[in-house]
Amino acid sequence: MDNNTQPLNIATESFIELSGRERAQAVLDAGSFRELIGPFDRMTSPHLPLQGIVAQSDDGVIVGRGTIDGEPAVAIALEGAFQGGGIGEVCGAKISGALEQVLRDHEKGIKTRPVLLLETGGVRLQEGNYGLLAIAEIGAAIMALRPYTPVVSVISGMIGCYGGMSICAAGLSSHLIMTRQGRLQLNGSEVIEQEAGIQEMDASDRSRIWSMVGGEQRVAAGFADTLVNDDIHEINEAIHDVFRQGIREVTRTAQVDRYLALLAAVDANTLIVPSSIRESWKSGIVDQENLQSQLGAQQAQANDSVVEAPITRGRTWFEALSGQSASAQQGIASVLCADTELENQQVRYISVVPNPNARFVRARQGEIGLEEGWNIARSIREAIEADKDGEKRAIVAIVDVPSQAYGYREEVLGIHLSCGSAVDAYASARLAGHPVIALIVGNAISGAFLAHGMQANRLLALDDEKVTVQVMSKQSAARITRRSIEQLNEAATKVPGAAYDIRSFAKLGALDQLIEGIEADQPQDKDIERIQQYLIAAIAETRQGPRDLSVRLTSATAATGRASSIKVRQLLAEQWD
Amino acid sequence: MEIIHLQYPAKQTLTQRAHIGVAGSGDLELLIEPSTDNQAYIQISTSANGFEDIWRAVFDRFFKIYSYAVKIEINDFGATPGVVNLRLTQAMEVLRDGQ
Repeated sequence: MDNNTQPLNIATESFIELSGRERAQAVLDAGSFRELIGPFDRMTSPHLPLQGIVAQSDDGVIVGRGTIDGEPAVAIALEGAFQGGGIGEVCGAKISGALEQVLRDHEKGIKTRPVLLLETGGVRLQEGNYGLLAIAEIGAAIMALRPYTPVVSVISGMIGCYGGMSICAAGLSSHLIMTRQGRLQLNGSEVIEQEAGIQEMDASDRSRIWSMVGGEQRVAAGFADTLVNDDIHEINEAIHDVFRQGIREVTRTAQVDRYLALLAAVDANTLIVPSSIRESWKSGIVDQENLQSQLGAQQAQANDSVVEAPITRGRTWFEALSGQSASAQQGIASVLCADTELENQQVRYISVVPNPNARFVRARQGEIGLEEGWNIARSIREAIEADKDGEKRAIVAIVDVPSQAYGYREEVLGIHLSCGSAVDAYASARLAGHPVIALIVGNAISGAFLAHGMQANRLLALDDEKVTVQVMSKQSAARITRRSIEQLNEAATKVPGAAYDIRSFAKLGALDQLIEGIEADQPQDKDIERIQQYLIAAIAETRQGPRDLSVRLTSATAATGRASSIKVRQLLAEQWD
Repeated sequence: MEIIHLQYPAKQTLTQRAHIGVAGSGDLELLIEPSTDNQAYIQISTSANGFEDIWRAVFDRFFKIYSYAVKIEINDFGATPGVVNLRLTQAMEVLRDGQ
């Protein structure tokens, strides 16, 4: 909408200026708001005070029941003023638990409308893996809900929506409403500056950041659906419209071919001006001239300078389990995919490995970048389609991923959506009845792990000191939380979710097996056979078990390891109706 | 982080409870509800250590004006005494509106 032609509206009421609680009230029909697990329930973070940080009585998330346009609804609002809207165990469970309740309503025929008011920096770093698990569960719940109802997200600002929440909440929502002030970005600019240097991103250049990831750009380039002014009435009108229109057939993260074609036509060596991608990325029409010249240039480069890929655990285990050579694989060199028989059943192995010749330079060391996410999605969707009417093959994600790619181009071209497409594909496979198993053989970090592994029915990991699970490198986590590396290490001794080692992660109860005594770097036949036996058992269990991620909370270890996640769900169930 | 406990004798009773504010930078969250005896109990969790005297001064003054038997819980992220007073006054307004 052009501000110059807009009639002067003196009745404008700012949404941005509202607190989280007021926002939840504002999107529900007047007088219908009823808060679940409110401040006086005192469901606070047990992890913050252990690190000397003051907790808040609602842990920064407000869950409001009420009605929208007369129909039952839930509004879930993040309070950005508390810990930057970061997702910890309690507030994360309030979001995922509420969405799971909405799913139960729909299964019973009650058409509860879910609205997410996103204002979040992503995982609350002080709670690390608790937040990561919660965000994976939020993504799983949205995926399960989408066939029943639109899931609407609003990013109004001023914080915006970052980190894993850009992938699993904003990225997977069926409809995304933004203001100009709102930002949608996977990696925060400070983190990109820390990881990639100030030439890549100057975190103090505010106008540039908004031109890359602000609401106007995101809507114009098709990464979000509706641009609204900072006005309560306009936001509500947009929300009501979505529910009146009903479920969308095609979601953004399912459009793998479209986005891969758009990416192929991009010149990865130039500094991309955000406004220049608007027309083609919104319409999905690829400039054929650009595409041909890019393909030609890529071919020339491929023949010209080939750096050999290093041997990593991801590659070693892919070759060991699939029995196929990594270099014989089709498609991009960083996403390996092969089918092999394992005890008379088909298994598709997928692994992400370094490609030193990758087009996007920030994704050359095994990170999940723009091309990797969409290519993982393609490999999985191909299997879902092929097995549509027959036996659903198992899908094994071999996890050895150092991080998502941190870069300027990555953000402009929607790396959150690329990661989201992989989340969507893994979750879709799981919901369709494919056993999905993640085998963690090395690093399982952050958005990369969310995209590649965390949607699995079962998580298996090697008990090895180089196997780590966390949300950010220690250097970046220290910078963002203004603590020293020593303080981070100290915190990790008190809060298992803040630790990096796999044994601490195992205490959270989400890991199905922690496998000891495996030669992780150079597996021998006996090691490979043992892992195969674990995979066979996990696949068989999965075929009998639930298709959601509930096993992560019903394990004996989770009863103590994620007691708050379980308690929040109990309270939500009690207070829901 | 520091946790401070204060206690005052009180005469008047309240039936309502109120929740105000956010534990955001330079601000605080305040929960106030009736206490069951003739005492007011205050618990302050604050990110700024070493200000117990100032908190005591703020509440000494508050309980000279109001003599309510309440439990007050504060989650503070570095609010100045002025902001503390503002939030307390807001909480009393909410309670008065509800009475």
